[in-house]
Amino acid sequence: MRFLVVAVVVVLVGGARLLRRRRPRSARSPRSREWPATSGDVALVMARELRERVRSRFYVVGTVIILLVLGAAIVIPVVHHSKQHPVHVGVVGAASTQWRDTIAAAARSAGATATIVTEANAAAAASDLSAGRIDLIVGSSRVEVAHPIPSGVPTTATMVARAVASSFGEQRALHAAHLTEAQIRTLTSMTALPVVALHPGPVKGLNATSLIGVILIFMMLSQYNTWIMIGVMEEKSSRVIEVLLSAVRPMRLLTGKVVGIGLAALLQASVAIAFAMVLATSVGSHLLQGTTFSVIAATLVWLLLGYGFYCWVYAAAGSLAERQDQVQSLALPLSLPMVVGYVVALTAVTSSSPSLLVQIFSYIPLTAPFTMPVLVGLGDVSLWQVILSAAISIGSTVVVARVATGVYQRAILRTGARVRLRDVRSSS
Amino acid sequence: MGDGLELSGLTRRFGDLTALDDLSFSAHGGQVLGFLGPNGAGKTTTMRAIFGLVELDSGSVTWNGATVGPEQRRRFGYMPEERGLYPGMRIGEQLTYIGRLHAMSHGDAQRATTEWLEQLGLAERVDDKVESLSHGNQQRVQLAAALLHEPDVLILDEPLAGLDPPGIDAIGRVLTEQARAGRCVIFSSHQLDQVEDLCETVTIIDHGRLVVTGRVDDLATHGARRLTVRVDHDVDGAWVRDLPGVSFSEFTAGAVRVVLDDGVDTDVVLDRARRVGRVSEFSLVRRRLSEVFREALQ
Repeated sequence: MRFLVVAVVVVLVGGARLLRRRRPRSARSPRSREWPATSGDVALVMARELRERVRSRFYVVGTVIILLVLGAAIVIPVVHHSKQHPVHVGVVGAASTQWRDTIAAAARSAGATATIVTEANAAAAASDLSAGRIDLIVGSSRVEVAHPIPSGVPTTATMVARAVASSFGEQRALHAAHLTEAQIRTLTSMTALPVVALHPGPVKGLNATSLIGVILIFMMLSQYNTWIMIGVMEEKSSRVIEVLLSAVRPMRLLTGKVVGIGLAALLQASVAIAFAMVLATSVGSHLLQGTTFSVIAATLVWLLLGYGFYCWVYAAAGSLAERQDQVQSLALPLSLPMVVGYVVALTAVTSSSPSLLVQIFSYIPLTAPFTMPVLVGLGDVSLWQVILSAAISIGSTVVVARVATGVYQRAILRTGARVRLRDVRSSS
Repeated sequence: MGDGLELSGLTRRFGDLTALDDLSFSAHGGQVLGFLGPNGAGKTTTMRAIFGLVELDSGSVTWNGATVGPEQRRRFGYMPEERGLYPGMRIGEQLTYIGRLHAMSHGDAQRATTEWLEQLGLAERVDDKVESLSHGNQQRVQLAAALLHEPDVLILDEPLAGLDPPGIDAIGRVLTEQARAGRCVIFSSHQLDQVEDLCETVTIIDHGRLVVTGRVDDLATHGARRLTVRVDHDVDGAWVRDLPGVSFSEFTAGAVRVVLDDGVDTDVVLDRARRVGRVSEFSLVRRRLSEVFREALQ
């Protein structure tokens, strides 16, 4: 966790430095005539991409929206829970300790709290119930509510009424059986036997962090890879590419571009995760309860691996296009594997039981960014499987990057109609 | 291989089309070279080839005897035909960025940006986005992008296209100054009058082949004698067409320019002109670049 915080701080400080604008100074000084090595051109391109993206209105608004959605997902349940009023239970006369304990236990079992209101007589109790000042009246032989309990989703008050009625009914039955107080206490304090699985494994449930992580990965991969494609297309259509390639080699230009936009994505993801963790801790949210470092790390790592794989594909596609409509026609087929991976991963995380399809998808570089973090979240994968999947993704990325760079080099300076892959092949 | 920029045997085919066909010529520091040719002659392909933007089938480009590679190109400045700048990026930052890509330090790139924007009358627009500028001012910024890093070779593809006369004068002045500073300046243009005013030498190509190259003065004085004849109320100079040994060249600004074959007496032309009307101008003239261009392509 400490590593994550340090990484976030480093990325934030780096981003802030890049954002700092320096105005040109007018003072004239002798210009250096040494021509430094070219190793800095990738960093220059990367810094420009990061700066321009992070500064853009789209990025700022997008980040704010992500933070708002996360904030709402964390805060609203807490506020809703804290706003639950205790159920007011009217009791005629002074309630005994046993009654108070029985009512409190019944309310707890219904997920609520109870406040006992002592009523002077039955008429006063009925009056308070009619006026809504109390939710139910507990008598020695019955439980009274203002209106008949409707079918369907019960309210907290009706659930407490049912629980209280059940508890007092049990007590009456036990007393009718002429049991001693000690026997009654023994019976009412019974606890269920533990259920033990033959094969021990992790307890599965809806892992909110995995769910948020999958959604975050899908949103970011869709958004940032589209940025790559549009960015490449715009450099081609604005013809600035000729100026750039007169000074920088295509491979280095493209590398700087994808790394810069990738850092913008990582920065946004880090800010979102850090914000969610700080907010959840400060408001006492249970949403991220049980979240382990491995789930957060898997989300970030697979975000990077997914971006690393797809960014080259989208960059190559962008070099084939010269107009917005051409980009859109290319973006649709490219997004299909992502959509499939996303849907399969969502199904797994909500059903809490990964199917064979999820297991298979976790080793395919196109879908692994979505399904593998889910498997990590569900604890259904061992370390060697994660490493194997990551290695397949990295290896595939190297191959894809080489092919994509070749396409980019041949297509980026070809203007006019949309370049087709067979045109690129024939010109090679 | 000698000093300066030397292009040797450049050949590039696109399928059945031969864009460059064994093209060779050279340009030297301290001179402005006009690179001329009709549309589709291969000018842009040649310029792109110098910057490695076009893969050559054969041929070589050298600078001061060394094959031009990425390191040499960083010391070249390029202004492409279809202007290339990031429309949404601030002008100052964009120029500094391009300067740094050409291996300038951050401070040097900023200083050069400030100086060039001041020189080109755009100092106040340093924080504006490129897309907010007029066409002419975008052209100026594009020129600054090519000049920032004090390149040894400056290559400009149609730098005067679409400019008003003050814009042409401003860019022409900069090109001349750059040549005087010892740089090798090559630019293409269809505005031959401006080329004639700016260039010491020209190279004309057609169908990817060299047609003619040389000093403007030499080309202007070379070849057959030519006359400018202005006759009152003459509208097209058609009267010269039936004169033996006299070729119609062009009719501009109310005067006809003719080319005389060897042995043709100028009095024959004068007498014919007098029969048409009062002659207000009759003089032997140099070849204009437009004539050099036209005749070279015939």
